[in-house]
Amino acid sequence: MNDRNEDPAIREPAHDKVRGRNTRTGIYAITGGLLLFLFAIMVRDEFAFRGRENSPPAANVPLSFTPPPMSKIPDGPEGASIRHGMAIFENTGTEAKPFVGNQLACRSCHLDAGRKADSAPMWAAWVSYPQYRAKNKKMNTMEDRLNGCFSYSMNAQGSPSGGPPPKGDPIYADLEAYFHWLASNAPTGTKLKGAGFLKLKLPQAGYDRDRGRAVYAQHCASCHGDDGQGRTDINGRQVFPPLWGPRSYNWGAGMAQLNNAAGFIKANMPLGAGNTLTDQQAWDAAAWIDSQERPKDPRQKGTVAENVVAFHSGEKTFYGKTVDGHLLGSGTEAPVQASRR
Amino acid sequence: MSKRGPVDEAYEPYEPRRRVPLPVYWVAIALALWGALTLWQDSTADRTGARERLMEANALERRQTMTGSALFAERCATCHQADGSGISGAIPPLASSRFVQADPRVIVQILLHGITGPIVVDGDDFNGHMPAFGSVLDDDQLARLATAVRRTWGPGGTIDPRFVAAERARTANRGIPWSGGAEIAAALDPAIGIQPAYHPLASASADTTALSIARNGKSGGWPCASCHGANGEGRDGVPRLAGQSADYIAGQLLAFANGSRPNDIMRPVASQLSASERGGLGRLYAGLASPSTSRSELAGDLARGAELALYGDDRRNLPSCFSCHGPSGFGVAPSTPSIAAQQPGYTAGRLAALARFARSRPGAVMPAIAARLNDTDRRAVADYLATLPPSPVTARKDAR
Repeated sequence: MNDRNEDPAIREPAHDKVRGRNTRTGIYAITGGLLLFLFAIMVRDEFAFRGRENSPPAANVPLSFTPPPMSKIPDGPEGASIRHGMAIFENTGTEAKPFVGNQLACRSCHLDAGRKADSAPMWAAWVSYPQYRAKNKKMNTMEDRLNGCFSYSMNAQGSPSGGPPPKGDPIYADLEAYFHWLASNAPTGTKLKGAGFLKLKLPQAGYDRDRGRAVYAQHCASCHGDDGQGRTDINGRQVFPPLWGPRSYNWGAGMAQLNNAAGFIKANMPLGAGNTLTDQQAWDAAAWIDSQERPKDPRQKGTVAENVVAFHSGEKTFYGKTVDGHLLGSGTEAPVQASRR
Repeated sequence: MSKRGPVDEAYEPYEPRRRVPLPVYWVAIALALWGALTLWQDSTADRTGARERLMEANALERRQTMTGSALFAERCATCHQADGSGISGAIPPLASSRFVQADPRVIVQILLHGITGPIVVDGDDFNGHMPAFGSVLDDDQLARLATAVRRTWGPGGTIDPRFVAAERARTANRGIPWSGGAEIAAALDPAIGIQPAYHPLASASADTTALSIARNGKSGGWPCASCHGANGEGRDGVPRLAGQSADYIAGQLLAFANGSRPNDIMRPVASQLSASERGGLGRLYAGLASPSTSRSELAGDLARGAELALYGDDRRNLPSCFSCHGPSGFGVAPSTPSIAAQQPGYTAGRLAALARFARSRPGAVMPAIAARLNDTDRRAVADYLATLPPSPVTARKDAR
């Protein structure tokens, strides 16, 4: 017993002391091992956890929303109405032929059948109506809003009937059925991420149509054509929409305002490569596109100058300005009715 | 107890106990966890792989037994629309169409060979091009499709696959689409009524230089036909050229020659060509109406491929193929090529190649899209496009 006690290397300390030390070592080892493992995982995932830390949604942070897949459209009469609404949305010139006066469809600006965020998606629009709009200074229902879409973006003044669908037309009900379905389970009374068009700050250098002409030639013309008239397929069906001229949206449309066009372009164009243009390029391209003549504002009663005061004050628009000796807003000749859509 | 000698014979050298440094434990534990995780992931990947293979097999099975209305949704609705309303001014409606109401031979023959030229449907004039489905759908599929269309918008009844087979045999040597409504009405069912006359375009005389390059090559170089096939139908990873837009072919030949589209095989061939020869070859292949020889061969999920081509995938920011390449993948001259009936090996390979340019060419559309497609999606979409009818031959493609 003595000799063992003499050797400090093999001297046994008190039993509980050993156990205490082993436990502590064990805890350190396991904790350290776990930390190292988690660290390695985080490095591998390039700090993928970082995003999750801020996940508890604050009250005023926009919520993201995904509309249901098309395969989930229900059967029965409700489904039939939703499907017809989607058909109108996609194929407006055929399904709502009497009220369409150009070669556009709803889908031309509301991409992916109105599903795509930052291209004024319909699920976000549905939950924000009824809404007061400064444009017509009244409380607007969705039907009022759609009436505006037909009047301006679809240029209904040039349509076979000469105007938008009358109040109560089933076209409205079916479009609304489609929007309502797209917004299934969407929260109301809160801002949704991707609603409307991107709000793009005007850069220091402002906007310039000559710079825009160059941006357009490089990034837009291969699909929309040098002349901005878009392109048709072998059957004469419009694949790339016309951006100006008699077959495009008129001067009353939201897209004729540079801030809307710039936000749309920045987030969505060129199609499939959105957010690759700089803010400056987006503003300049918008300036080039929206400084071309297009069908006149259907609200115009007197001269263009009077209409500027009545409806376009405070807008970022070329309406009423003179470019290359031409007063923009004068309008275009109605296209020959043999047009194809 | 016993007395020790100066040297302890029994002495065993030993290391005094030293504690293992903590970092060693850390690393060991971390590695153990990592290993366990990897093993677990591998086993899940294995299961996922097995499930995906099963899904692919099911998709192929499904394709064989797809109902007529499902075939319609995937093949016809991009033009005629799900509700058969067509496109005003471009695509005739099926609803209230006399061609759908007529003798069943009419719909079967139009499906087999396509139709091109003027036609009056429900009082409206059309002058377009419908592709030939004869080389991409078998008798059974055509029978189901025709039955579904006639039950929805026509007199109903059932079209038997043997009837389709007989019609196919009867017009096996036709080779060209029906010439507008007039020929259909005259040859198949006069009850359709008066149809506008078809005036064929004066066909340009054959370009003998282009023909010679295509068949024999230029000054000892490879002839086009040696890889792209005698009728420009392509094979494996070599693209189909038949029915492609002439401007597009000429443009790509120039891009091969000047290196802006890098390709070691095409570069030496294309460098030999003059501008007029490039144009001539473009027109030659644009005018070939060869049947499709493309078949799904990459084991892609056709349902997923159809989804990408028709609708895209908004969750992954993928626009549909058809939103730029035209409603049936026939291309929109001159900017976007035809992708219908393309050889799947070429489509998938080209997408993979384009994805590599995504970083070096920001803002370029196809590289950005291709980079967002994974390998499974590339195979799916390539295989789906291979099942489409070839783009109809038309002078209008290069009119602009």
